[in-house]
Amino acid sequence: MSSTAITADATLPDAQPSPTSASRSVAEVLVCLPAIAADALPTVLEAIASAFPGEAVLVASSDPPANASDWPSLELIPYSNARTGVGWVLAVGDYAAAAHLAVERDARAVILLGDDTAPIDAPLLRSLADSVRTKNIDLVLPRFTLGPNDALVNSGLLYPLSRALFGADIHFPLPIDAALSTRLAQRLATSTQRLMALNQGSSLLWPVSEAAAAGLSVREIPAADIAPPAPPQDDFNALFATVAVSLFADIDAKASFWQRARGLPKRPSGQASPPPIAAIEASSEIHSMIETFHLAQDNLQEVWSLVLPPQSRLALKKLSELSPDAFVMEPDLWARIVYDFTLAFHLRTLNRNHLLGAMTPLYLAWVASHLRTVSDDPGRAARAVEITASAFETEKSYIVSRWRWPDRFNP
Amino acid sequence: MGQQIESALRQSIHRIVLVLVSFLPGILAFLLALIVFTLIGWALSALLRRLLTAVRFDERLASREFPGAPAVIADWSPSSSPTLLAARVTFWVCVLAGIAIGISAFDASYAADSRYSVFLLPYVAHLTGAILILVAGTLLARFLARTVLIGAVNAQLHYARFLSLGVKWLVLVLTAAMALDHLQIGGAIVELAFGILFGGIVLTLALAIGLGSRDLVSRSIEKTMEKPTTPRPTEVPPLTETEPPPRPRLRHF
Repeated sequence: MSSTAITADATLPDAQPSPTSASRSVAEVLVCLPAIAADALPTVLEAIASAFPGEAVLVASSDPPANASDWPSLELIPYSNARTGVGWVLAVGDYAAAAHLAVERDARAVILLGDDTAPIDAPLLRSLADSVRTKNIDLVLPRFTLGPNDALVNSGLLYPLSRALFGADIHFPLPIDAALSTRLAQRLATSTQRLMALNQGSSLLWPVSEAAAAGLSVREIPAADIAPPAPPQDDFNALFATVAVSLFADIDAKASFWQRARGLPKRPSGQASPPPIAAIEASSEIHSMIETFHLAQDNLQEVWSLVLPPQSRLALKKLSELSPDAFVMEPDLWARIVYDFTLAFHLRTLNRNHLLGAMTPLYLAWVASHLRTVSDDPGRAARAVEITASAFETEKSYIVSRWRWPDRFNP
Repeated sequence: MGQQIESALRQSIHRIVLVLVSFLPGILAFLLALIVFTLIGWALSALLRRLLTAVRFDERLASREFPGAPAVIADWSPSSSPTLLAARVTFWVCVLAGIAIGISAFDASYAADSRYSVFLLPYVAHLTGAILILVAGTLLARFLARTVLIGAVNAQLHYARFLSLGVKWLVLVLTAAMALDHLQIGGAIVELAFGILFGGIVLTLALAIGLGSRDLVSRSIEKTMEKPTTPRPTEVPPLTETEPPPRPRLRHF
């Protein structure tokens, strides 16, 4: 595949002198670093050098240190990465800049590190690069260690949708760190070109769906004992809206792909039964979330009736009548609700900010139900996430039908 | 006497019939212009739609042929289709042109010194302006009411619906006052009524929020005022049962 031209943009390193063919290194691996404090950079470089002993590695840093000769195997190159407004995950600007460098330097594996606070795990770095180089995988993402109450948006929305619609069993489809092949880097360079021209470098990008739509391979590798970093801002409503809008827009843009795509092979039937509900009292956090749901049930009927069919609204009414200690939202109901909101986003049934705002109490209801089910047990949490994802797969025909014939299902 | 009454009535009926007869061509001209231009708009819109669909305008726009344009256009297009947007714009431009030509024809059907024409035409313009104000105000009221309702529910405010209704009626009252003022109806009475209504709604909302948030404010003040009491060094701290470890905080991201 030939290299792809990239539009000149302020966030891309076009202003920097391009290396001549003679000065190009033979390094196969390119590591793109986030903006790191000057005093922390030597530790990071040391970790990269130890991950690839005796191997030449290109390291792109926004502010290369003066004592670069301390690491002879590393070739430090300047790089203007675009840290995003969302911040804690990789965004369009990060992919565009890394893809540009990868094409320019002809690197076989590109590793993007997004988190500037966590220490770099050398074995993980090595595994990421090796999976791309030796196993010919196009996108490799780390699978972080989750606590039972961690990354709930991921467990309830991002992972199940990504798995059901794009057939990608990737637990963190919105990556913090990622390894890309040259093929995927070239594709991302093309797909990010338009967004960069629109000065939307801080928008989120979904590399898993990009790779799936292009027929490229995607894998995840365990990142032992590493917890996913938390987003810097604390405004849940704003962050939820940002992520959900981006995800729904991506699903909308790739509708022709996922309507045809086959899902993952079915899991053994033993996984399908729901886990028993733990005999625990609902905590104050769960009470608070259920209260928000009750408030929405009383006040947002007018908005929900534009989005949800009568069956779902009836199920929500029954749910609202349950006491907090018996509060359970069935996974298939949650899956249909998410699909209905995805469709409403596509059809522009109502203002998109209103749509996401009206979805938030329903998400909180799912979280309350999930936390009761999980009861702080990691094993039960993993099983509950698996059941939720299976429900999304089972209900995929629902979204396909509604997407194709939305009027038939209109309430 | 009877003959005089009969004559007066006959003359007045005659005058009214004359006015109606003189009105009729203008109204017919207006309706004809509107219908013809609506039909032209419909035909042009259908033609444009077919043409743009044939050349796959949406797909070309979504590709990189016009960087910068697609996102903006698609965002404002119905069902994200710029073709549909172009067709609808064409249709409504034709309808508006029909209305403008109709009014012009209506105007032309009168003599320049006709008192009806002098009175009616500026009023039609005012009426159109008032209708536009009403439509815009109603849309804005609905949008703001929904925004407030959703925001208040997510902020766990129990008086969310009340707040939303208050905002909605504030905007509607303001809109009605503006429309009446534009039509020059009511004069000072409208201003006075508007002031009373607007002030009343604001006062009601302020009272409702104040009373509704009383517990919240008192809890907040208590937290600020109460300082943690540290035990004296001579006192033996009371024995407490071993507290269970705190449950891990949930993380959405």
